[in-house]
Amino acid sequence: MSNAILVVGGGFAGLTAAIEAAELGHEVYIVEKMPWLGGRVAQLNKYFPKLCPPSCGLEIQFQRIKNNPKIHCLTLSEVVGLSGKKGDYKVKIRINPRHTAPHNVDFSLLASSLEGEAPSEFELGLCKRKALYKAMPFAYPARWALDPSTLSVSDSARVAGDKFLDVVEKPREIVLDAASIIVATGWQPYDMANLANLGGGSIKNCISNMQMERLASAFGPTGGKIRRPSDGKAPLKVAFVQCAGSRDENHLSYCSYICCMATFKQCLYIAEQAPQTMITVYYIDLRAPGRYIKVLEQVQALPNVKFVKGKVAEALQAPGDKVTLVAENALTGQKSRIEYDLAVLATGMQPSLAAGNLPFPINLDEDGFVEDGSAKGIFTAGCAKMPLDVSRTAQSGTAAALYATQIIKGASNGK
Amino acid sequence: MAKITLQTDSEYTRQLMEAGGKNLKECYQCATCSVACPLAPDAAPYPRKEMIWASWGLKDKLMSDVDLWLCHNCGNCSDLCPRGARPAAMMSAARDMVYRDLMAPSIIGKWMSSPRGLPWLFLIPAVIWFVVWWIRAAIMGSWFPRTEDGKIVFGQIFYGDYTIDPIFMLTFFTALAILVRGSMKLWDRFKPKGKTTYIGPHRNWLLCIWDVLWEEVISANRFSECADGPKTGQPEQSRRLSHTMIVWSFCILAFVTAVVALGHWGGKIIPAILIETPMPQTFWVKIIANVGAVLLLVALALLTWRRLSLNRKYQTSSYYDWYLLGIIWLVALTGMGCQIFRLMDCIHTAFIVYYLHLVFVWMLFAWVPWTKLGHFVYRAVAMVYVRMYGRG
Repeated sequence: MSNAILVVGGGFAGLTAAIEAAELGHEVYIVEKMPWLGGRVAQLNKYFPKLCPPSCGLEIQFQRIKNNPKIHCLTLSEVVGLSGKKGDYKVKIRINPRHTAPHNVDFSLLASSLEGEAPSEFELGLCKRKALYKAMPFAYPARWALDPSTLSVSDSARVAGDKFLDVVEKPREIVLDAASIIVATGWQPYDMANLANLGGGSIKNCISNMQMERLASAFGPTGGKIRRPSDGKAPLKVAFVQCAGSRDENHLSYCSYICCMATFKQCLYIAEQAPQTMITVYYIDLRAPGRYIKVLEQVQALPNVKFVKGKVAEALQAPGDKVTLVAENALTGQKSRIEYDLAVLATGMQPSLAAGNLPFPINLDEDGFVEDGSAKGIFTAGCAKMPLDVSRTAQSGTAAALYATQIIKGASNGK
Repeated sequence: MAKITLQTDSEYTRQLMEAGGKNLKECYQCATCSVACPLAPDAAPYPRKEMIWASWGLKDKLMSDVDLWLCHNCGNCSDLCPRGARPAAMMSAARDMVYRDLMAPSIIGKWMSSPRGLPWLFLIPAVIWFVVWWIRAAIMGSWFPRTEDGKIVFGQIFYGDYTIDPIFMLTFFTALAILVRGSMKLWDRFKPKGKTTYIGPHRNWLLCIWDVLWEEVISANRFSECADGPKTGQPEQSRRLSHTMIVWSFCILAFVTAVVALGHWGGKIIPAILIETPMPQTFWVKIIANVGAVLLLVALALLTWRRLSLNRKYQTSSYYDWYLLGIIWLVALTGMGCQIFRLMDCIHTAFIVYYLHLVFVWMLFAWVPWTKLGHFVYRAVAMVYVRMYGRG
């Protein structure tokens, strides 16, 4: 019998659920696959509803975690096995090596001296990272991570003698007891490679909306200046392609909910930095839920933002590393081929679990979202259940914590 | 602002859905299809607008839509459609509805629209040719006669001068007259309502016809343009080769028929050009005829294989598609078959197959105005219209 709650996923949903449960007095384990917590929100430049930077909301969460001895964070970790039943689960977890000592050591000098580079996962391939890296300034835990596969030969020699690094550290497995489980595995940006008619991710300066967040982020690859990835020039004509893969039976059959608002937000980023930039938003329908209509109105009032009702169904590389977009304006019946300096595909969210490898006894719907597992003491929070924005994600995290703690009560009362 | 009242016809929508456009109401007007279509021009592209006309039941708009005929049914739009609404199937169904309703007697259009009418379509020529056979059998004294030197000559029963030629000429010219009238009717529909004044130089209609012949028949360029659309992620199946082959085989066989008819009838006046059937296998007309027949069979096999291997998730074939392929198969197979059985000296089979051949050929020609084969006339009319006047 255990009184602990296992939270799988250290994004906004998982953090909220973990903190709420811990602050009610329960033991909580967070299992996070990446080296740091924060998930997708950490990658955003600003987020709704108040358009604050992630450092704002996430840092508060990190503080609450730091100050709460009931929360145990396992980063670089994955659930690999599960046995037992509701109220009494045994969870096998693999902890992948971080290769850095459990001290808050600043490796920035050493890291900058290394040669080997790999595309940065956190920056979505927009820039490279070294073998020794930390995704962002306020990363939590504030520890660096070492990726030995990126080390060059001379790098290996350089890190060999460092007493705070352990290149040969091996993965290990532990088993935890948990009464209930919260699945907060979140989402992946829909892979542009699947969108053959939109260039399949191979067109220069045709980026995803998540990459746009990184370009606009103050600690992103361009220091927050929105620049074309190919040549670093400021784009004068930008287009947003809505429903890139969403509401499409051949890709994601559902509406991803966030991409319209993400695009409006990104229009505001551009208008703030370079108001003269001409922006075109190609859409099927504009979806601004509830009070977000105000944001839509704000964007519509911008002088250089144009909305075209018509889905972009073909994207091509144009001379000068521009992007040609082809769409029919359904209101005028005119098909246009227009070149843009930068095109942003508003790709949707695909639940991470859609990729398979599900170690839990729960069912997924045809799109990969979790169906109800409450009978088994397994609850879902955030985008693992359905596409959500950050504030509704937080609400779903609180809800999952409430359900998960009730299992423990029931178990301790012998019911 | 002027008030516009739309004349909607939900019955037409229902019929379109039955005729193959069953998913048309899935459309949410995202306009992917208009971009997916490499043939659709930039001004008023298709088939997005046709999709909304279809779901609203704007029958007059669709029935007089010249763009229906510019579509060559490559299926890109259906491959990329995010809703599985299958615009290609709707366009095809709308064309089928034109075949059905354009020309009187409308009962033939109705028979042609579903397998239920097939017995009638078959019975009419079957009876005609049976009566011919019966009368000739009475005259010859045998249903399966041989010549004095023991050969099988189909002309003994189906005597060209008095049976095949008059019946087929009558059939051919009647069908042609109906096609011409249908084309004129269609042309009138394409024309904008009211009075139109055209400014600027006009391309001569003869040149327009030549352009269309070049694009559609000689080079079949349109089909390679079909392949120029956005990448769909689906395997591409070009129809350029197979469709060109079938068009050329029809041209060759039509040429052979004309040469034989000319040689036969003209030979009565100028003995030098006389041609008698059956022609020896080494005679140049016979060689060309056999080349045409083989070409036809290969093209048919390719086209049939393509239809069978269509990804059903995206594309389907309508009854009109299968009827046309089926009847050409039957004509080709019975055509080759009667020759083979004649050479094998299987007299009963040879005559029966020849009889069936006549029935199927008659079906192919007589029903042209109401079948998909009519597209070679109706599409040509639309393309000539567009070349002369643009798209309204």
